[in-house]
Amino acid sequence: MNSIRLSDIGPAEIAAQRQRMPAVFGMTGRDRAIRWIVFGAAAAYLAYLHWLFDFGRVFSGLEKLWVITRLMLDWSAFSSWDHVELIQSMVETVAMAYLGSMLAVVLALPLGFLGAYNIVPQRVFRFLTRRLFDGMRGIDQLIWALVFVRAVGLGPIAGILAICIADTGVFAKLFAEAIETIDRKQLDGVTSTGANRLQALRFGVVPQILPVMISQVLYQIESNSREATILGLVGAGGIGLRLSERIQINAWDQVAYVIVLVLITVAVIDFVSRLLRMRLIGTASRRG
Amino acid sequence: MLELEHLSRRFGDKTAVADASLTIAHGEMVGIIGRSGAGKSTLLRLINRLIEPSAGRILSDGRDVTGLRGAELRAWRARTAMIFQQFNLVNRLDVLTNVLCGRLNQMPTTRVLFKIFTPAERALAIRALDRLGLADVAMNRADALSGGQQQRVAIARALMQEPSVMLADEPIASLDPINAKVVMDALLDINQRDGITVLTNLHTLDTARTYCRRIIGMAAGRVVFDGKPEELTESVLHTIYGDAGDGAVLDERMTSTSLPMGIIPAMAR
Repeated sequence: MNSIRLSDIGPAEIAAQRQRMPAVFGMTGRDRAIRWIVFGAAAAYLAYLHWLFDFGRVFSGLEKLWVITRLMLDWSAFSSWDHVELIQSMVETVAMAYLGSMLAVVLALPLGFLGAYNIVPQRVFRFLTRRLFDGMRGIDQLIWALVFVRAVGLGPIAGILAICIADTGVFAKLFAEAIETIDRKQLDGVTSTGANRLQALRFGVVPQILPVMISQVLYQIESNSREATILGLVGAGGIGLRLSERIQINAWDQVAYVIVLVLITVAVIDFVSRLLRMRLIGTASRRG
Repeated sequence: MLELEHLSRRFGDKTAVADASLTIAHGEMVGIIGRSGAGKSTLLRLINRLIEPSAGRILSDGRDVTGLRGAELRAWRARTAMIFQQFNLVNRLDVLTNVLCGRLNQMPTTRVLFKIFTPAERALAIRALDRLGLADVAMNRADALSGGQQQRVAIARALMQEPSVMLADEPIASLDPINAKVVMDALLDINQRDGITVLTNLHTLDTARTYCRRIIGMAAGRVVFDGKPEELTESVLHTIYGDAGDGAVLDERMTSTSLPMGIIPAMAR
């Protein structure tokens, strides 16, 4: 009678089992209704947003866009541009992104441990650290940049600080989440050898989160190199400053050149980070 | 009837299974013994077609299944259910869903992607869990269970496949003696009541003797013994296990983790 054949299951048995274990048979009508209401509301809101968006403006702006595009493609004055200044600024931008991200990693690593529930079980403390991350992250890099430009003056230092603070929040959150998904058994194994708390974290946790960390840090450096361009627009140093100068004087050919420089730089960083990721994560996984 | 003809598998220059030929009748319960690295796991994985043979054929009731591809291959895998030493459950899913995974081969993919199971499938899952005494924990996450419970969930998942063969790869190697007995009893019960062929790798000789009427011994990838437990003499064991290199004599008590039959009451059926 207990054979495991789907063809043996009749309506009577389904009814009996449903009676016995309703949870197994999934959502009740009420749950389903609530879910549809939530979905419906979200869909309606989306439709409303689309209605708000004024498509007419897009078409009226097309003509101007065409003129700008034509200007951008005319590179006949290439030799007269200040290449040294532009490339220096590009390097400065990458350096800003790199330094800011690296400082952020150093700050975020201990914070990440403090924010992980399997490392710090105290609820209140963890709540406060998590809200601290939210605060750093919730305020955009651009806002931080504006603040630091006022505080330390125009230039890359303001950019580095802005990237560092915003990324500390991002990294701390990502690290904490990575730490929360570790395999407890490995940590227990290390702790059982008599290692102290920090030692156990170093050998029971860090090897497990290392691939995730490396991946995230490399991505963030790459993404910051892109975003540091925008920081320049508000005076926080780098290529963005040059870009905004050229937009203001309608030098669209040079704007296009700067954009090409940024694209090449991002592609190079992407390539290097892919190499690094394969290298580092490969060894990390071999180390277990 | 399951026939292996001159089955071999090489990994690089290492031969895991060498020229294995076996015939296994419907409804047999066969224990495979041998040292670590003798090719026991590889043999089971070859039968399930998780790995491809380097040479040789697998026949099921005369039909060559070695060349199956795509849907036919997946149907073959469903028919030869596997049980793993480390259970291989999906930790983050509840027990019920893990068990329902046994139906995946029979389900349309759209239904799988949206995680829609029919009431009949759910009722069948409870039936399977009931048989293994686990219906109470159906809604728990798989990794919240003990090792013995997890292995029984894995067996319930295998049963859901409505298999004709069950391949158990060291099913009790990670379990304590009592759970080991519960799991072996469940496999025996499936073999005897459902008539499902059971092929199980075992690293404890006395478990193999207790549960299996036929034992296959492997050494260095070759089948070196195929017979009844009574025929496992000292010299045969020496062929299978060799010696430790320091002249130590094989002592079954040292390798045993199993309890004699009848020490604990049979599990609820």
